[in-house]
Amino acid sequence: MPKIIQLLLDWSEVWAVCIPAAILLTKKQPAVLKPVVFYVWTALAINILIDLTWKLRNVIPAEYNSNNYLYNLHSVIRFFLFSVFFIGLKQPFLVRFKKLLPFLYLVFLVVNFAFSEDFFNYWAFSSRLLSVEAICLLFYVLQYYLYKITESVETYSFKADFWIVTGLGIYVTINFFIFLLYNDLEVRMQNFAVTLWNVHNITYIVFNIFLAKGFYESRK
Amino acid sequence: MSLENEDIRFMLVVGIAAMLLLFISLLLIFIFTQRKRLQYQQSLRDLQDRQQRQLIEAAVRSEETERHRIAEELHDEVGALLSSTKLYIYSIKNKHTEDDDKGLYRKCTSLLDEAIIKVRGISHNLHSSILQEFGLNEAIKHFALKISNGTHLELSTNLDYSYVTQESTNDINIYRIIQELVNNTLKHAQANKICIRSKYENNLLIFSILHNGKGITQHDFESLRYNKEGLGLKNIQNRIILLKGELNYSQDSAGFKIDLTVPRN
Repeated sequence: MPKIIQLLLDWSEVWAVCIPAAILLTKKQPAVLKPVVFYVWTALAINILIDLTWKLRNVIPAEYNSNNYLYNLHSVIRFFLFSVFFIGLKQPFLVRFKKLLPFLYLVFLVVNFAFSEDFFNYWAFSSRLLSVEAICLLFYVLQYYLYKITESVETYSFKADFWIVTGLGIYVTINFFIFLLYNDLEVRMQNFAVTLWNVHNITYIVFNIFLAKGFYESRK
Repeated sequence: MSLENEDIRFMLVVGIAAMLLLFISLLLIFIFTQRKRLQYQQSLRDLQDRQQRQLIEAAVRSEETERHRIAEELHDEVGALLSSTKLYIYSIKNKHTEDDDKGLYRKCTSLLDEAIIKVRGISHNLHSSILQEFGLNEAIKHFALKISNGTHLELSTNLDYSYVTQESTNDINIYRIIQELVNNTLKHAQANKICIRSKYENNLLIFSILHNGKGITQHDFESLRYNKEGLGLKNIQNRIILLKGELNYSQDSAGFKIDLTVPRN
């Protein structure tokens, strides 16, 4: 039984994305959700590659059997697509900073991978990259709620965007410290790090369920 | 080394807990304010509904009072005048025996009789005395009889007598709706066969008006009820809001059907 659960968790990055993807197959989404739709399909492709690389690591030539750069790539794509999504919501709150943040992130990317880290590091994904991405996305999530709390327009707020933002919020809140300390943990407590990745996988499932709920709500 | 590992583990747990706490707090504040906002909106809507109902009630009540006043004046004033005129004309009869005038006299009395009947009819139509005394079913039956009397129109009723009028104010509204619907059917649909049916079950009173004329569908009704000139439909709509009922227009092979559903407690 624990083996089945472990297998499910190992492949969760693939099958979890299939939940919102299945909703997407049944209904076209509004323009404002397009970046999230694009994220789901991209994430599905990247996660399949990540898991296949890991499972077939003994078959694939040594120089190509690391999937860590794919995690980095996933993180960069996720940040930019969700930035577009949050900016596309057109909430008149911290507009300039929201638009500036992707450029600041880009500067960080260039500086970090030019002078400090290797994007294609064979042994580990970039803890710094993923934690910076998480904190930036958390900023977007928090400003979304703050705007909604102070919003004077009397509208029903539990719409598609609410579910997507809440799912993302849960994911980045829990994973920020996991991402931040993961490289250290891999070196010091490898077993604990592997167990901790299950927490990430569970939050990723929750995130995808919220995405699916958001896509489903957009039909109403 | 081991202590450092413990420190990292502790930092991780505290960090995740703190972040979660922050996030959950904000989410709860958000949900709480949204709920408050929705409650406020709901109370505002309720208030608007109450005000609308009060306005409609006042309008319907004043219309009903005006109907009664006109009915009473027609019956007591115009009816009395016509009756006394008739008496005077009868007294002329003995003095005029010439053949030329006999025809004119007969025409005059017949027109006068017709006028008296018409005035009585209009007066009874406007007044809801039958409804108040004998209940909704009798009032509808009487109305159907009166409409079909002396015409080619076949107006039948099949009413559920298990329903007994408890509060005549609401039944007057149902009666007026039926009246307006039948009048509309005669005027616009040119039907020559109409059947009024009723069914009372599960505290729901359902009236169905079936006819063979050129009726309207639900879609037509939805567009017509916002027409500025359609006073009758607007009155129907107002009374339906008061009764918290529903009106549904449909069509099948047998003809057109109008269903009026009213909850009765």
